Parts: sequence; C-alpha cells; structure tokens
Amino acid sequence: MSDIIQENEFDREIVRAENLKKTFSLSRKQQKIDRTSIKRKVAVDGLSFSAYRGEIYGLLGPNGAGKTTTLRMLSTLISPDEGDAFVMGHSVKHEAAKVRDCIGFMTGDLKLEGFFTPDYLFDFFGAMHGVDKKFLAERKKQLFSKFGIDRFALVRVADLSTGMAQKVSLVVSIVHDPDVVIFDEPTNGLDVLTAKVVTDFLSDLKDMGKSVLLSTHIFSLVEKLCDRVGIIIDGKMSAEGSLQSVCEGKTLEERFFEIYQSQKGDIL
Amino acid sequence: MKLAALIKKEFHRFFHDPRLIVTILLPGIVIYLLYSVLGNFIGSESDYSFRVYLKGESAATALIEQLSGEHEIEWLQAESSEQAIEEVKAGRASAYLVFPENFDALVFGQADLADLPVVNLYYSTSDDGAGEAFYALASTVLQSYGARFTLVPHNFMSETDMGRMIMQNLLPMLVVTFVFSACMSVTLESVAGEKERGTLTTILATSVKRPDIALGKILPLSCIAALGAASSFLGVLLSLPKLMGLNLNTLLSSYGFSSYLLMFLSILSLVPFIVALISLVSAFSKSVKEASAYTSVVMIAMIVVSLVSAFASDFGVWVAFVPILNFVAAVQQLLSGGMPVLLCLLSIGMNLVYTAVLVLIVSWMLSNERIMFGK
Repeated sequence: MSDIIQENEFDREIVRAENLKKTFSLSRKQQKIDRTSIKRKVAVDGLSFSAYRGEIYGLLGPNGAGKTTTLRMLSTLISPDEGDAFVMGHSVKHEAAKVRDCIGFMTGDLKLEGFFTPDYLFDFFGAMHGVDKKFLAERKKQLFSKFGIDRFALVRVADLSTGMAQKVSLVVSIVHDPDVVIFDEPTNGLDVLTAKVVTDFLSDLKDMGKSVLLSTHIFSLVEKLCDRVGIIIDGKMSAEGSLQSVCEGKTLEERFFEIYQSQKGDIL
Repeated sequence: MKLAALIKKEFHRFFHDPRLIVTILLPGIVIYLLYSVLGNFIGSESDYSFRVYLKGESAATALIEQLSGEHEIEWLQAESSEQAIEEVKAGRASAYLVFPENFDALVFGQADLADLPVVNLYYSTSDDGAGEAFYALASTVLQSYGARFTLVPHNFMSETDMGRMIMQNLLPMLVVTFVFSACMSVTLESVAGEKERGTLTTILATSVKRPDIALGKILPLSCIAALGAASSFLGVLLSLPKLMGLNLNTLLSSYGFSSYLLMFLSILSLVPFIVALISLVSAFSKSVKEASAYTSVVMIAMIVVSLVSAFASDFGVWVAFVPILNFVAAVQQLLSGGMPVLLCLLSIGMNLVYTAVLVLIVSWMLSNERIMFGK
C-alpha cells in the first residue's frame, strides 16, 4: 500500500531539486559593502524540495535568501555548482533546452524590448518556442482578451504603463502553454488591480492543471495561493511541506519569524 | 524557423527606426562630401587641354583624340627627348609619348616578335591634373590596342601628386574606418544594448539554441552594416574622381569593372568579420558604455594597422591570413592598377572563416553564465 502511494507521488512530482548549491564570487566593492574579506558567497546551500502537478509551490524568504538564484537554476539560466534539479524529469544541468521548452519563466530580470509592440513580441516569442502559428493566433486572442492587452496590442511596450507592460511580460512568458510556470516575485511593483489580475491568473493556472512555482516574501500571497511552501533562510531550506504542516496551527507570519529567530537570533 | 524569426526581428528593429537608417547611410554621404572638398583643395577637375610631346607615329594617337571628349589635345614635336622630359617635369606639358619605330606594323604584323616593342609614357600630374588624366586616357586606349607591346609609364611626382598618392594610400584605411563605424553603430546597440536592458536574457530563457542567437544577430547586422559599407563605397567611388581631378568615366575605365567588383567583395567580406568581432566585445561587456570603450580600442588598433600597412609594400600571399591587413593590401593593389585575384579571393575566404570562428565564440559566451549574468 505504501509503495502505491509513493509511486503516485513520484508520478505527480513535476519539479525535484536535489541538494542544489550555488556560490558567487564577491567583487571588492561588494566585499566592502558587506564588510567582509570572504571572496565567495554561498547563495544556495544544499537545497532540496519537490513540487507536484496541479499545485502552487511557494518559496518564501527574506531578500538575499537565495530564492531568485534557485528559480534561475530551475529555469536553466544559471547552472548549479553542486546537485541537480529535474523539471518534468529533465535535468537542468544536462537537458537545459528540454527544460526551457516545458517551463514559462518570469522574473524582473527578463525585460521586453520597448521598441516592439505586444502583438509582435507575442508572435516572436511564440516562434522562439516553436509554437504552431494557428495555435499561437488563438492563444494570443485568448490571453490578450483576458488581460485587457488587446486594446494596446499595437502600442510599443515602451509607451505602456508599468502594469500593462508587466501583463505583457506575463503572457509572453506563457506563450507556449507550458506545464510548469515559474514566477519570481510575481506581484512585485504592481498596482493592486494588476496584482489581483496576476494572482487570479495563478489560481486559474492551477485549476487548469498547471504547476506553479513562485518566490515571494509576501506572507498573504503564500497563504492565499500556495498548496506547499518552502522557507529559505541563508540559502538553506529551513522548513518545507504543505502550508498546514509548516504553519503548525499558527499564521505563516508567526511561524516564519519563529523559524527565523531560532536560526538567526535577532530579527534585525 | 527560430533563426528566421531572430533574423526578422533584427531587420524589423532596424527598418522601422528612421534614426538607425540615417546612422547607417550617413558615412557614405560624409565620405563623399569630405573627399569632394579635399579634391577641390588639391585640384579640381578642370577644362584642361592636353599638351603632349610625341615621338614616333601610331594610329593610336587618333583613337586617343577621339576618346578625349571635350579636352583638346595639342601634339608637339620635341627638339630632343631631354627637352620633352624637362617640359613634362616642369608641368608645362601634360605628357611625352614615345612610340618605337614602325610601331603599328610591329603590333599588327604577322611576324613573331622576339621582344615586345615598348611604348614609354612620361607624365607628371601638374596642379590641374592633366598629366594623370592623359595617362588614364592613353593607357585605356593602348590597352585596347592589342597585346603585342608593353606600355611603360614614368611618373614624375610633384608635391601635389604626392598628396594624391597619400590619399590613395589612405583610402583603404578610410574605408576600414567607415565600415567599422557602420558595424559599430548597429552592433553595439543590438548586442550590448540588449544585454544591458535584459532583453537578451528573455531570449536566453527560451529553448532557442545559442548558435542560433549568435547567428540571428550577426547575419542580419552584417546585412545592415553592409548597407553602410555600400554607402561608404559609393561615397568613395563618386568622390574619387573629384579627388583625383578626373571624370568618373575615365576613372571607371582606368580601374575596370573587375577591380571594382573585387574591391566591393573585399569590403563585403570585411563586414561580417567586424560585426562578429564587435558582437564578441559586446557580449563580454556589461553595458553599451563599456562595450563602446572596448570597441574604440579595437577600432584604433585597426586604424593603426591599416594606416601603417597602407604605406608598406611587397606583401606576400601570407597577408591574406591576417584580417584587416589582407583587406588593406588587396585594395591598395587594386587601386594601384593591379589585379590581385588570388590575394582578394584568399582574403575574402579567410575573413569568412574568421567570422565563423567568432560566431562559435559568441555562441559559447551566450551559454556562459559568468559572462552573461556576472555582476
């Protein structure tokens, strides 16, 4: 019986990180700012977790905890120094192109050329993912209408409001209808209306059977959206599991600071 | 399909931005104006008439008269060769043309010639450019007159002639500079600019292969920069007659179509090499500003190489393996009336090989996270 449960869980596992480690060299300037003589900084230190099909997984942690680095490794933009991660069974180290084909990745670091229109960029990134033209046209119509981009489809991105440009980035990142969607701080810098549109869309993706992996430092966003959560502090996984099991009957905020204080001492 | 979309994007970006189009076409206009003004300073095309001392007889003189157009030719008899040469050196005569005895009979006769007859042409370009113009005219006519003789030109240079010669030697360097500028204006913005703005990362996050991204940049940017190169080339072609005090037809006929074709192909092969080189520098740099600084150093190095080599001579075929230097040597030889087909073809081939190597390096750089995302 327990074997059957494990097998089902393995089938549902869509992202598996195994002992991920990533270090960066510190520039002299950064060493001065950090008041340290250490030349290398460990950004992610032996991180392991699993995310499952049809769920939203949230990586929660303060700034500099290693959330973005983890997501960048999962999206194959950077490679882990140690360990490996598997997305839909493909290794981020050895099958980077296959991983990129089945994920949609959105982060503040990925920008769209302001010179082009949303209409052009949607078609361009559709071509980059090798999407069929007919499917692309239907998807553009559907997504542009859903996010209210259709009225601005032929306006250059540089001339759009921040919120509208963010929506364009979002639809462009999922142009190829990926099974796994990875969002780094999805509501950062958005006004309340656009933030609601984005969070609602993440719920919709889950309802459509897609798997979402997001990073955030906003407790309410995790409580509202996530099925599972991993708390990262100093590049290490401090707690991981379903929202209920991590919270242990407390609010997520209370539980987070409890864990943080137990590891780091004072909050400041 | 992915490569095609990348190429299309670069063209779309360029051809929908009037400012970029202007920056590409501007060098040709500038070079034309610059050379025309320089030509006017050195000596403009004039309504000169030719005063030519003649020794010996040939029907070729009638042909030269026919093709001289509106320029009148006054044929003079010299008391002695020394006097004629003195007159030419002093600039009082345009040229001194010496046919051997029975020249036409020898050239058109059936008899086997042990030694080819020699036609000597003494000229010195005076400030009005008549000597050089007569040389261009006479050599063109005589080249069509048959192959059974040898034309030996003797040029007595004045200071002005030296100036013109220097300009001819500077021309390859100027072309390198203008081609480099054309490549720089489009490549820095497209590669370093995209990297700095984070738009290149968005493309890297898709499954498109890195060599496709490199080619998707270098191929269209080369085509766009080639437009700039063509603009510069046209600028040179149209302004050269003014610079040399000749009319365009005379100049075209003095170099010939194949010379221009080889020169143009040499320029075209230089473009992708420079675009790929600037792409490499841009991919390495963190910002357009940093890339501009590095590229300026590369540009200065190229100018120095082309400037120094412009005044060197007797390059061996080995020069074809050295980028930039091969272009300068080939164009220099073409401008001096030679036809270095082997050198040109080897140079073009080598430039394409170096471009391919640079494309591979840029592809590797696009895959390297330290280069692409290093802070």
